[in-house]
Amino acid sequence: MTGQTPYTATLRIEPSREPWRLDLPEIWRYRHLALLLTWRDLRIRYKQTLLGAAWAILQPLSTMLFFGLFFGRLARLPSDGLPYPIFYYSALLPWLYVSHVVANGTNVLHEHARIIGRVYFPRIVLPVASVLGGLVDLGIAFIVLILMMFWYGLIPSMWLPAVVFFLVLAVLTATALSLWLSALNSRFRDVKYGLTFALQLWMFASPVVYPMTIVPEAWRPLYALNPMAVVIQGFRWALTGQGFPGATPIAVSTVCVIALLAGGLVFFRRTEAVMADLL
Amino acid sequence: MSAAERPAILVHDLHKVYPLGNRAAAGSIRDLINDSLARGLGRADPPAKGPVHALSGVSFEVARGEVVGLIGPNGAGKTTLVKILSRITPPSSGYAELGGRVGSILDIGLGFHNDLTGRENIWLGAAMLGLSLEETRRQFDAIVAFSGIERSLDSPLKALSTGMTLRLAFAVACHLERDILLVDEVLGVGDAGFQERCRERIRHLAAEGRTVLLISHDLGTIGQLCPRALRLDRGRLVAEGPARSVIDAYLVEAGQGEPAPTPAAGASGADLGPHAAPSIAGEPV
Repeated sequence: MTGQTPYTATLRIEPSREPWRLDLPEIWRYRHLALLLTWRDLRIRYKQTLLGAAWAILQPLSTMLFFGLFFGRLARLPSDGLPYPIFYYSALLPWLYVSHVVANGTNVLHEHARIIGRVYFPRIVLPVASVLGGLVDLGIAFIVLILMMFWYGLIPSMWLPAVVFFLVLAVLTATALSLWLSALNSRFRDVKYGLTFALQLWMFASPVVYPMTIVPEAWRPLYALNPMAVVIQGFRWALTGQGFPGATPIAVSTVCVIALLAGGLVFFRRTEAVMADLL
Repeated sequence: MSAAERPAILVHDLHKVYPLGNRAAAGSIRDLINDSLARGLGRADPPAKGPVHALSGVSFEVARGEVVGLIGPNGAGKTTLVKILSRITPPSSGYAELGGRVGSILDIGLGFHNDLTGRENIWLGAAMLGLSLEETRRQFDAIVAFSGIERSLDSPLKALSTGMTLRLAFAVACHLERDILLVDEVLGVGDAGFQERCRERIRHLAAEGRTVLLISHDLGTIGQLCPRALRLDRGRLVAEGPARSVIDAYLVEAGQGEPAPTPAAGASGADLGPHAAPSIAGEPV
């Protein structure tokens, strides 16, 4: 049949396939399903909500205003010399992206429990669709950031291309955590209940309301065990040229994300086999 | 079909055991800690339910191009068997081999969303069943024609009647063209006329040389469509052979005492109302 290579080989069904083996060609065959699910989620959200795409901007903007007022004007936290709106907004973009994706991704298997029990497809397309869907909101919010920078007369730094690196790191962090948490959540519902709380703590462990530069330099590699530290500080630095996170922290975070992702893929794959029985 | 040809479906000594009933399925961390504590202290209560053997050593073959019915009471393991063959759940031991592209229809309307239009739902539902974008594009008009909802194609699903939604869902499922099709209990939906169109579709697929494994409570349907039938009971294959005799023996054992209507009498789908099947099988749907 067209579009896909015909399955001429015999498909063998046995108790355990190697859980460490990622069947990438199989996942690639289902890429259109991931894209269709992404499109579905966006379509439904835009149909169901009055403000639709405006939500992608309203959330970071309103959070920025509150942070600017309380943490900036009143608490007078440092901002690496940047105007408070830019300082907070640029941190909120990667932060809201990752936290939304992780929150969605954790529940994505439960939301599709009926489908998982009744049809085969590589389950990884579900968290992947949630990761991709978040990128659309991020893109919309990013346009506003560019406009704001013009407004403040900030010229993007010469390190601007590095934005791509930090965004990729954000996407990989979101993917890794979605894999871990969705698979864990299919075993233990506790994950879902602890999540809101954990995300709140995680935000304060990341340089969203304060710059990474207030962390003593000796401690920064340790601080960078939280990959969002480098994602957020790096994103801000690449845009404005202020507050370089440091080479060692960048390396630490990158290694952390890769390890988290590799572990997440194996764990998800191991859970995948029994997912239909668990949900 | 030469004897030397490899079968389309080969199932060898397939077992499926669910540990501790439903207990081990979804739980909380507290359950896990309590269980391990109890076990550690040697005070574990005997599990309320032992392991459930959904399948215990099932073996059979289906030749290429054959249409085979799978019957048996609820809890016999029919759905578990088809879920294993569909790669939804793995077997505990044994193996199965499928020689060809496999498609499973264990439910219809999967992936459908009420807020999306019929058109959008066709794309989603088709992708869920494993159709590529190219296949869906090629089949799109046929799906719409089969569903008969051309005029409501761009209305959200929630504006359509249940019957229309059902027909759309079925139309998508009917256009899954695969060498091997596993169909579970979805023919029983819709009115008699629509059911007959679905049976017609299965006959058409069979005429094209596709292999079909069909589960149904509707013994009349199995008798009409399947030359051969398998009967499962409590996880074991208890009968295998010409559909007519397997069904008759099943009915006799189920206490009906009378053989099923002859194929000629059952040939017109309208004779078998949608609710005839469960009463024949003597159990609720």
